[in-house]
Amino acid sequence: MSAPLAETLTQLRIGNQKALIDFYQRSRHLFARWAQRKHQLAAPQAHGLLQDTLLDFYDQVADGRITKMPGDLRAYLYGMAQLRLAAHVPAHQPLPAAEAGRRQRLLAQFSQLGADCQQVLTYFYFRGYNFDKMGGKMGFPNATVARRQKSACLRKLYELLK
Amino acid sequence: MSPLTPASPDLRPYIDELERFADGQMTPEEQDAFELRLEQDEALTDAHAAYEQLTADLRWAAGHDTLRLRLQSLDERMDQRGTALARAHSLAQRRQRRWATWSILGAVVLVLAAGAAWYFSRPNTARPARSWEAYYQPDPGPAVTTGLLHSRPLLSEALDQYQAGHYPAALHSLGRVSPANVGADTLLYLRGLILLREGQGNAAQLYFRRVGETDSTGELVRRARYHLGMAYWQAQELAPALATLRAVAADSLNPYRASARRAVAAGVLEPR
Repeated sequence: MSAPLAETLTQLRIGNQKALIDFYQRSRHLFARWAQRKHQLAAPQAHGLLQDTLLDFYDQVADGRITKMPGDLRAYLYGMAQLRLAAHVPAHQPLPAAEAGRRQRLLAQFSQLGADCQQVLTYFYFRGYNFDKMGGKMGFPNATVARRQKSACLRKLYELLK
Repeated sequence: MSPLTPASPDLRPYIDELERFADGQMTPEEQDAFELRLEQDEALTDAHAAYEQLTADLRWAAGHDTLRLRLQSLDERMDQRGTALARAHSLAQRRQRRWATWSILGAVVLVLAAGAAWYFSRPNTARPARSWEAYYQPDPGPAVTTGLLHSRPLLSEALDQYQAGHYPAALHSLGRVSPANVGADTLLYLRGLILLREGQGNAAQLYFRRVGETDSTGELVRRARYHLGMAYWQAQELAPALATLRAVAADSLNPYRASARRAVAAGVLEPR
């Protein structure tokens, strides 16, 4: 990663995931070779493992479990992958962590929403778009419609959680 | 602890206000009033905390889901790219193999064509014919006309038999012809011709040599010289045959000059 590590962490916290995407693109092949050599893992399983590991890492950054960027990100991520394998964590499951249950439940309900609602909530709460920009992105006639749409989607999610 | 557990406060009575407050949709007066209520209304404070927790979780979930989808999408793209590259590589290899096969086939066809061309166009190395008959230009003798038949019936009969290939009969008929009627040289010449065609080269030589003993410049002598050369050749006397044919080839008046030249040029009479 060419950006300074501290800056990378900040970018991740505000939702810029480019560093992790770049890492995956650059390291997928090497990681698969490592996983094959060390753990006799086939390439598709190794790719899934790396994706889960990066998601775990992102969660740790997002909820503040990681406050300082590791000096050697590659070694840190490989170590996390090794821990997942040792703990026999099933694929696409997060590592056990505080509040994981509540968040996982919300994540599950979030994925039950329609595609438009997911997009609207992502634009507002994750991307930080204002109603004008979100309206433009979603093709709504104005910001008021965007605000009402967001409110409706948030209530729908809340109803699902109750 | 969790606002979304059964014990968590119900947001529904407050959600409009909480959302407007959080999204900055209140006027400054409304905001001041809401902040004052937050300090005084415990239920509202709990609801606000639960709302903040919900939006924080939502932020996390949206980010997590976004990253998951982006990673999956990237993974598919990389798989597709890898498959396309492998397919292109395999296609290139297949094309290369096909090209090599066609090249080899082309080369084989080329070699075969070159071989065939060489075989059919190679210089003819066959040795020239060594037999005297291959070079011999026979003399059919004078044509048997009605006039000749009436004036010299025996000569006409002999010539007819000679031209029909009945050489012994022709010799017999010729023996009955009087030299006084035909001429001694003509008889000698004809006898030599018949013997030569009969394959008696040695005997033929005697008659050809005697032609022109009295006059050695006539055309009959020139003809006889050529047939003498061929008689030597037939008798496998190559040295006199070559000398005689050379003399014929050098004689511009000899009617057999071209045939003699061909025989001399072939070199088959040269001593080996």
